[in-house]
Amino acid sequence: MSYLTIFLGLIGLLSAFLFFYLLKFKAFSKQTNRGNRIRWKSYIPYKNKDSDKSKKSS
Amino acid sequence: MSQHQTLDRLGRSGNPIIRSAAFQDKVSASEEKMSLEGAVNKTGILLFLTVFAATISWNFQGPLISILSTLGIIAAFISGIMTFGFYFFFVGWIVKPRPYNAPRTAPIYSIGMGFLIGSMSQVAESMYPGIVIQAVSLTFFVAASLLIAYKTGVIKPTQNFLLIIFSATMGIFLTYIANLIYFLFTGDNFIIFTGNGAMGIGISLFIIGIAALNLVLDFDIIEQSAEQGAPKYMEWFGAMALMATLIWLYIEILRLLMKMRSR
Repeated sequence: MSYLTIFLGLIGLLSAFLFFYLLKFKAFSKQTNRGNRIRWKSYIPYKNKDSDKSKKSS
Repeated sequence: MSQHQTLDRLGRSGNPIIRSAAFQDKVSASEEKMSLEGAVNKTGILLFLTVFAATISWNFQGPLISILSTLGIIAAFISGIMTFGFYFFFVGWIVKPRPYNAPRTAPIYSIGMGFLIGSMSQVAESMYPGIVIQAVSLTFFVAASLLIAYKTGVIKPTQNFLLIIFSATMGIFLTYIANLIYFLFTGDNFIIFTGNGAMGIGISLFIIGIAALNLVLDFDIIEQSAEQGAPKYMEWFGAMALMATLIWLYIEILRLLMKMRSR
């Protein structure tokens, strides 16, 4: 195994740990308190299967 | 958990704050809501399933594994469409996104894609030893870097950002489909995908860039859904979206490294 592979492997391990660790934290207010955020709710409506079925039947 | 169960567990308190309607609402309201922690746990579960399936298809060769892999990939494809929907230019949504399917489709998707990347990685590793560790490491390095950029507010996803990334992603997927049709008729791939010249490497870098920026959109979906108290199934949806992008990013990084090694 080359030194490059070992080096990249270590970086990968550290990055994976950092990724899962930081994902748990809320983003800075600079990110969350903006007026021009994407309104995901309009693209991915939070509804359940039953509401889809009732829409179809009506 | 119902209010009665909550009371049974916590005990009936005389404390006016705990007895207040506001507190009880908060307890009952938080039960079925999405949380960042839940999305992280689900991402971990899906990653484990992907690695597990990849290990199987890497280590065991033969007709049974080939059939399992093919079925897994088809199941992953169908699961992806059942959850994320299917959009086509000028036509709109052919299949609408159904995030509530995610708790059932996300594990199927991860296992199916695990079979695919396992066999791909095995071929790549036999040609260029050490390439898989490098590709996995670079994938997590890119993901962690973008996560820091997102959480700190360096990259701010806006409506225009979404339009650009969505159009570029659709364009790439249309090229993939065209390549697949071309492959079925000629048995060959587009030279831009397989070529190891400056053009081929440039195209790979562009696709990696778009895949990486898709991660930012996934982080934003998870962050915003958790903030707005989305239903619990959105944890699976967010985790599945993240896994889909991470797998795409890994495949493209692996292809780029293969092109660079073959020069």
